[in-house]
Amino acid sequence: MAFTMGKKRLLCWIATTWLIAVSGVAAEEQATSQRGSELFRSTIAPLFEQRCIECHNDRRRAGGLSLQTRQALLAGGTSGQVVAPGEPDASYLIDMVSPLGGEPARMPKKGPALREEELEALRQWIAAGAFWPDGTRLGPDETEWWSLRPLRSPAVPAIADADREWVRTPIDAFVAAELRRRGLEPSPPADRRTLIRRLYFDLLGLPPPPEEVEAFLADPDPLAYERLVERLLASPHYGERWARHWLDVVHYADTHGYDKDKPRPYAWPYRDYVIRAWNEDKPYGRFIQEQIAGDVLYPDSPDGIVALGMLAAGPWDFISHVEVPEEKIDGRLARSLDRDDMVRTVMETFASTTIGCARCHDHKFDPFSQQDYYALQAVFAAIDRANRPFDPDPQVARKRRQLEQRVSELQGQIDNVLASGNPESASRLENIDNRIAEIVTGIVANLRPEYGYHSVIESTPDRTKWVQVDLGEVCEISSIVLAGCYDSYNQIGAGFGFPRGWRVEAALDADFTQQVVLIADVREEELPNPGIAPLRLEVSSVRARFVRVTATALAHRRNDYIFALAELMVLDANGRNIALGKPVAALDSLELPVRWAKKNLTDGIYPGSDASQEMQEKLVELWREKLAVWQERFSREQRQRLAQLRDELVKVRQQLSQLPAQQWVYAAATDFQPEANFKPTRGVPRVICLLERGNILSPRQEVQPAVPEVLRFVPCELPDDAQGNEGARRAMLARWLSHPAHPLTWRSIANRIWQYHFGQPLVGTPNDFGRQGARPTHPELLDWLAAELRDHGGSIKHLHRLICTSAVYRQASGDRAEATAVDKENRWLWRQNRRRLEAEVLRDAMLAVAGCLDLRMYGPGYQDFVIQKPEHSPHYEYHLFDPEDYPAYRRAVYRFIVRSQPQPFMTVWDCADPSMLVDKRGETITPLQALALWNGRLPLVAARRFAERLRNFPGDVRQRLQWAFQLALARQPSADEEKEFLEFARKFGWENVCRILLNGNEFLYVD
Amino acid sequence: MSTDLRIRSANTGISRREFLSRAGGGFGAAALAVILLEDEACGKPVVEGLHHPARARRVVQLFMAGGASHVDLFDYKPELERHHGEPSDFGEPVEAFQNGLGPWLKSPFPFHRYGQCGKWLSEPVAALGSVVDEIAFIHNMVGKTGVHSSATYLQTTGFVTPGFPGAGCWVSYALGSMNENLPAFVVLPDHRGYASNGPKNWDAAFLPARHQGTALFPNREEPIEDLLPPGGSFVTPESDAAGRELLRWWNERHRRDRQADSRLEARIRSYELAARMQLAAPEALDISREPDYIRRMYGVDRLGATFPDEINPEEEAAYFGLKCLVARRLLERGVRFVQVWSGNDNGFPRRNWDSHEDIQRDHGPLAWGMARGAAALILDLKQRGLLDDTLVIWTTEFGRMPSSQGSKGRDHNPYCFTTWLCGGGVRGGISYGPSDQWGFKPLDRDHPTEVHDIHATMLHLLGIDHTRLTVRHGGIDRRLTDVHGRVLHEILS
Repeated sequence: MAFTMGKKRLLCWIATTWLIAVSGVAAEEQATSQRGSELFRSTIAPLFEQRCIECHNDRRRAGGLSLQTRQALLAGGTSGQVVAPGEPDASYLIDMVSPLGGEPARMPKKGPALREEELEALRQWIAAGAFWPDGTRLGPDETEWWSLRPLRSPAVPAIADADREWVRTPIDAFVAAELRRRGLEPSPPADRRTLIRRLYFDLLGLPPPPEEVEAFLADPDPLAYERLVERLLASPHYGERWARHWLDVVHYADTHGYDKDKPRPYAWPYRDYVIRAWNEDKPYGRFIQEQIAGDVLYPDSPDGIVALGMLAAGPWDFISHVEVPEEKIDGRLARSLDRDDMVRTVMETFASTTIGCARCHDHKFDPFSQQDYYALQAVFAAIDRANRPFDPDPQVARKRRQLEQRVSELQGQIDNVLASGNPESASRLENIDNRIAEIVTGIVANLRPEYGYHSVIESTPDRTKWVQVDLGEVCEISSIVLAGCYDSYNQIGAGFGFPRGWRVEAALDADFTQQVVLIADVREEELPNPGIAPLRLEVSSVRARFVRVTATALAHRRNDYIFALAELMVLDANGRNIALGKPVAALDSLELPVRWAKKNLTDGIYPGSDASQEMQEKLVELWREKLAVWQERFSREQRQRLAQLRDELVKVRQQLSQLPAQQWVYAAATDFQPEANFKPTRGVPRVICLLERGNILSPRQEVQPAVPEVLRFVPCELPDDAQGNEGARRAMLARWLSHPAHPLTWRSIANRIWQYHFGQPLVGTPNDFGRQGARPTHPELLDWLAAELRDHGGSIKHLHRLICTSAVYRQASGDRAEATAVDKENRWLWRQNRRRLEAEVLRDAMLAVAGCLDLRMYGPGYQDFVIQKPEHSPHYEYHLFDPEDYPAYRRAVYRFIVRSQPQPFMTVWDCADPSMLVDKRGETITPLQALALWNGRLPLVAARRFAERLRNFPGDVRQRLQWAFQLALARQPSADEEKEFLEFARKFGWENVCRILLNGNEFLYVD
Repeated sequence: MSTDLRIRSANTGISRREFLSRAGGGFGAAALAVILLEDEACGKPVVEGLHHPARARRVVQLFMAGGASHVDLFDYKPELERHHGEPSDFGEPVEAFQNGLGPWLKSPFPFHRYGQCGKWLSEPVAALGSVVDEIAFIHNMVGKTGVHSSATYLQTTGFVTPGFPGAGCWVSYALGSMNENLPAFVVLPDHRGYASNGPKNWDAAFLPARHQGTALFPNREEPIEDLLPPGGSFVTPESDAAGRELLRWWNERHRRDRQADSRLEARIRSYELAARMQLAAPEALDISREPDYIRRMYGVDRLGATFPDEINPEEEAAYFGLKCLVARRLLERGVRFVQVWSGNDNGFPRRNWDSHEDIQRDHGPLAWGMARGAAALILDLKQRGLLDDTLVIWTTEFGRMPSSQGSKGRDHNPYCFTTWLCGGGVRGGISYGPSDQWGFKPLDRDHPTEVHDIHATMLHLLGIDHTRLTVRHGGIDRRLTDVHGRVLHEILS
């Protein structure tokens, strides 16, 4: 029986039938219903399933019609109702499947027309009321697909007698059973020389040093091989090799891509995180969680933030985010496509699922609806890609979090006190204000046009903005004076743009990380807007080079918010303004000279700067009076309390500023420095709507965050407050993907690990375990490996050990005619595969053999290009870079990867394209490769360095050649090779010999 | 900065010609004698036999980076002259990329009629008047975005995001090369630098890497990366030739007990093909043997001239003409797809078609140079009988608004622009799909032409059904035309 009926539903159905029976419905009707039920089971259900449901299912809905449920059948299709229960002649379905007017039946489109008895059964079934048992759903169970089935560790197959010698591990038992089934024999183990070269390239991506080779060959320990595997897995270079595989999949690069293709100077901490994670054998579940929601799930771990580099690793359209506002069509489109990249990256990487296909329509082959797709977009609705700070030291991270929490507590307490003040002095204030206004009118009669500094305009008051002066050298400061602007815009006048909250700091460096001194931290409630009365802050001998004014609450303008200041004066002990004419920097600035410009802040011009001494003094006096009244709004206790809280706030801020400087990583972020139209969501998720045909101009219903429906049997919790809680959305996805019961996750990673060890995966499409993808060659082995990984704490190294020590892995790679005849592609693993060095490994191996590979780990990437015109669209000119001047011959995993202008040598050798999620690299053979390796500047430099290394080798030319072969190939030259190469060396020199060694197939291929 | 137009000259060490003549006696000549088997390694066509008889065998695409203005070149709008300076009114809200919704702006260039067909062309592109009866103009092109990067991707790959193969890659993938000594898909970038997206516009993406466009820089010392060892290295012509011999011997020796692995043999042969490319590529680029009248025709008769710093028509003509001439030489030697770029990135000073500030200043020289080279190319192909089976496509990423930006510039117009085709199976002397009176949108808004239609038509002329040329990637059978594309039978002869 192909259709399923839940037990509960069945009971319910029986109960209903029974109720009808006892309530005395005519026996005739009961008989009809009986007939309908029989027909449904015997004919209709199989007919629908075999002939209709392929197109008319809930996902594809050809003609808008699904025949999977009664509800869907009765709902009909785009042409309306298809079945009128009880009336076959009025049922459109009958018309569609019957020949009409000499024309053959229009349905089914595929295969023969329905037979007469089938047509008759259909008519009778409709006549009998189109009976359909409650809760019955026709069609295949969507989870009945190999990759969606629950993951259980299968039993290891029994070993045939003939294989007892060969089989070493459970892996071998699975492979041997499959080989037997196909009449194939496994290959014998490769010799130790081959094995050590294979293991070195596989696990470290480096050639084995000759002394290691010799020691391994001479090692009498029968477990020497196993010990070698352990040693290599413990090497820090293992992480470098395997991180590169991961970076392929998540399409990591160091520039944005698209137009302009600007650099991402802080992408590399994520790359380093991946290297560290693999070296530490981080449990895979944790690895997943950190990369999707580390900031939420592991807030005190630096990895929790750095790992989010994964979500940001792909391309980003600078112009459409920064230059185009989010309100415009192009702006919305870019942001939607940006989330699309995140959804596809996460789902293809962790779950080998091509859910991106459901952006424009329900997935045509896999059980994912458009709704499912946009529900995943909603998970990422609040994040963008930007630089975000983190503390590499977890203790510092924890401390910072505590202090920041304390700051907000104190801030809240201060607010409470301020709110409790009772301003009964309103009339006195009004009186003073009137007197001030008189003087101001006199002063601004001669207002100079250089108004001051003016920030970019914001739509909310809570943006923090700063402006600072560079005194040029460290100076002794005795006081600081702020002067407000005057602008009649919106009848604001005096104190235009003066922030409602502000602080003043001094420091030794421009980034305010060294010896930061907090001079004032003020809110309007304590200190009203001074208008144009210069505000003097006394400082007790502070030494600093930079003075910064930060607006913590912006001033109101019309329907928007700004920060403006006419003058910033810094006075020394002699009362001299040492800031006069000094350079000004600001977070942002509305440069509209003559009125508004940063430099106006230190030009000595402010409202009243030309006024008489008398006028100025009078103004300041009135202002003091006003301040006194203003402050009288609070009782002595309140003021004491405020001072106390202020003091503590200053101390906490001071502690914060003394923490070690934070580092940056380019990662998923909700709060970051805005840049033009690119503004942070601050954690408020954008509204995500289902887009009809993926068209940004056709939004339909709003979609809430969720995991795909068909996979909801994997536990998944989204708290009720997830509506506004973006972190909870990502945490849900992270927990769900890393759940032990997830059928895709563990299979996906086990398949990838296998692929990198053998050069071919068990499932030929590592990013697609759906119906368009390949089927596993060894499904049971895959499940066994996946369960083994999951049940051993998610240890990838455990999997490496199992694989590397297996007999399958150790096999020789040589050809065997009888096996080739059966299985040319080696799908059944009757030998190991001969593998070509990947682009990075080839480059590293050349430099290693030449003796100039720099093995320092981590940090910013090396750049093997010259940047021209960096200010607009940087030109990354590889051909202008001199490989002789290598800044460092570091491993290729540390290469600064430019998205739009691929590195020519690496590209021609099939390195991963960071515009795509690369699950399997191509392996091409082209004349351009030959040119790159034969004539390329780097290979020629390597050949020359290699020759220099040989020349320094003590011994005669024969020994020199022997060493060269050992370095490059882990073997000695044969007699004929010795003859040819020495002859060639004599004629053309060692450089040319080395050039050939680095171009040989034996160098390029493992085995 | 003055620019020095050099074709190729010897730098340090020995000259290229000398290198080749000395090496040619050794390995190069031997390589030419090698008979090659068709297989995966050297570009065997994937489409076995074409879907239907082909009208064209090769394609040359001229790409104007930055957004060439249709209303200032090919799509004459008398209404703009009539209403010049009046506030623009589109009759609907319009979203401009920047702020280019100022008054209607007439073209700074006068228009005249050319050819039998009487096509209106502006003065800078008057040179195309001599071949206008060969050309089919499509004036109702619409794009999907006004952002350079995405719009350029759309025109080059059919998708607005990176990660898809260029049209030339698909053609290479489908049809392979007609001359295995040269790449099937060659790109001639603007000599000043790449346009938006750089080499990603001709990236093979998920197609095998050999179908990626090979960038040639005819005016660089080294027109193809690593074609020859750099001057001043330890490599001499003799060590190079003998080295290849030894390498081949050594690789053959290695292959002896690994016969079943065809990759090892393909690797050996890749060195032989490389050697042949070393001869074939410089020969294809060597325009010194072109007769004077041909060089004059392409405007490349002033080799070694220096030009002023400001953008100027002579310089534009010389560089674009050189690329057109090289394109012709490549096409006649069997290169399948040549892409010629005019204009670099969108930086300053403008050296591309993104005339936000001043149409006359930038479009004037660029169009004059482009039209001269393009007309020469079409005439030259025709006189050699190559135009019959060579498809010429003129493309840009979007057009420009009929309203003004500032007083002399125009903003992006992705809602309407012009593409033109000629040669191989195209009906000449026609203008298809008119735009509205302003050149703002297609006249018939329900039936615009999209790049997918251009791509479908191109593949159709090459004998390929665009719906049947697919490659599975990421769970989808990908096509150049995505799920779109209509063959424009109306413009076919």
